[in-house]
Amino acid sequence: MSLETGSASPRTTAEGGSGGVAAADSDDSDAKLSTGAGSFSDLDVVGLAYGAVGSAVFLAIWQAAAMAVGRTYLLPSPVEVASAFLVELTAPTTFTVPLVEVSVPATRLLANLLQSLLHYFPGLVVGSVLGISLGVAMGWSGRLDDALTPVTRFLRPIPPLAWIVFAIVWIGIGHGGAAFIVGIGAFWINFYNAYAGVEGVSTHLREVAATLGVDDDLTMIRKVILPAATPSIATGIRTSIGQCWMIVVAAELFGAPGVGFQIINAAQNLATDVSVAYMAVISLVFLVSDGAFRRVERRVLAWRD
Amino acid sequence: MAGLSDAASATQSPNATPKVVVDGVDKVYESDRQRVEALADVNFSVSEGEFVCLVGPSGCGKTTLFRTIAGLEAPTGGEIRLDGEAVTGPGTDRGMVFQEYGLFPWRTVRENVAFGLEEQGVDGAERARRVEEMLDLVGLGEFADAYPKELSGGMKQRVGIARALAVAPEILLADEPFGSVDAQTRDMLHEELLRIWSETGKTVLFVTHDVEEAVKLSDRVVVMAADPGRVREVVDVDVDRPRERTDPAFAEYVDRVRGLIGE
Repeated sequence: MSLETGSASPRTTAEGGSGGVAAADSDDSDAKLSTGAGSFSDLDVVGLAYGAVGSAVFLAIWQAAAMAVGRTYLLPSPVEVASAFLVELTAPTTFTVPLVEVSVPATRLLANLLQSLLHYFPGLVVGSVLGISLGVAMGWSGRLDDALTPVTRFLRPIPPLAWIVFAIVWIGIGHGGAAFIVGIGAFWINFYNAYAGVEGVSTHLREVAATLGVDDDLTMIRKVILPAATPSIATGIRTSIGQCWMIVVAAELFGAPGVGFQIINAAQNLATDVSVAYMAVISLVFLVSDGAFRRVERRVLAWRD
Repeated sequence: MAGLSDAASATQSPNATPKVVVDGVDKVYESDRQRVEALADVNFSVSEGEFVCLVGPSGCGKTTLFRTIAGLEAPTGGEIRLDGEAVTGPGTDRGMVFQEYGLFPWRTVRENVAFGLEEQGVDGAERARRVEEMLDLVGLGEFADAYPKELSGGMKQRVGIARALAVAPEILLADEPFGSVDAQTRDMLHEELLRIWSETGKTVLFVTHDVEEAVKLSDRVVVMAADPGRVREVVDVDVDRPRERTDPAFAEYVDRVRGLIGE
């Protein structure tokens, strides 16, 4: 008189009934989602073939159009972009490590990418931490929410780049200024996701925790609110990983060193093949970081329906 | 099921101490436009080790009463006493089982059962032992590392029961715990709950809208009526366990309770 189906595997639903059916439904939709997100577990060969054909057609049209135009600076061909990419990837230069001011050998592409990361990464981390903290605090405390909502509503529509004026007069448009802009972008994205995540935690789970002996706010936040809000917070982080690259490029158009600066700098020298090569760098870096984060997310949030 | 008869006879002794006393409880919800009397002067008591079901039509306030006993809502009048002490808020002296399970989806079965023990400061080894004991009690040992999303409704509710019992509560309170599972699973869970009840000797207060379920499980059925929510009658169920629906005495009780509800 113990298990309904003693022989069933622990990882499968062993009973029929409404609960079991609901679980099966949500598993199904999860599978659809993860396929769309590029799951590696079940490779769709036909889909991949279509993807290859689509890419080839795109490159062929691009190549044909570039040959028809006939001027690299107006429309560089994919072949020219690839060769510019290889040149940047291998051309030796040095990279000066900030703070310690030591020069280390690097290639042009690597040096520019490191320059961008020097404001992308600190901006992303600091902005995200502050945004999540305030979002959780306001989502939890109705009083704080009431007090700060007018301010956050008013400030949020301002595009991060508009703050460039203060970045310039306060910090100067180097790594610090660019990090400041990136941080503002990361802040709002994470703030709203964390806020929504905390607001969305069911009253029921909080009541359950209370009946199991949780009787102070900090324990409730740590053991119920934060774990329950993690999917939403993770979405915020993942969104900001992508959005902050947009902001990096925009900030560098004002003169901060890095990949974005190379895009505009090369174009001013009519080396648009180099510009496009650096555009591709941003795309590649985004794909790698987003893919890495998704993998972490899938592992950490394995419990999710 | 040897323990059953002991538990049953203990509850029928006349000098049994009241474990839970619901004493003149009123609950009124007031808004600008309307005033709803959810509970009006509700009185009854539950003895140590007794299994009592609360039944009634929807809107009779049984869930409100459950939440009030749980300490999740305060009565507007009267009080609820557990072992003579007034209930003022939620606490681990009452183990709660909810219809929608209320499992923490980010915790495995084992971690869900351990939740209350962590809050009580039970240390690692002792906690692990208690969790294993509870999982064995509900027969979920081999699912200890599964997440709730991997379980069926019936299994989720076993976790809910194990988690509620892990903190060694004085009473077990359940609000339509089997309302979301299919009939066949519900029958099995009934047998299990009765087994757990006899093994642990816990006092159980069980809310349901299912009259057959109430008659099958309980020593006494508190029948409630709506508008305002109040106790219509308390019915002693004097049928030997295990009870069968086909037993004429069983059917008689079901008819009687249904008649009181007005079904």
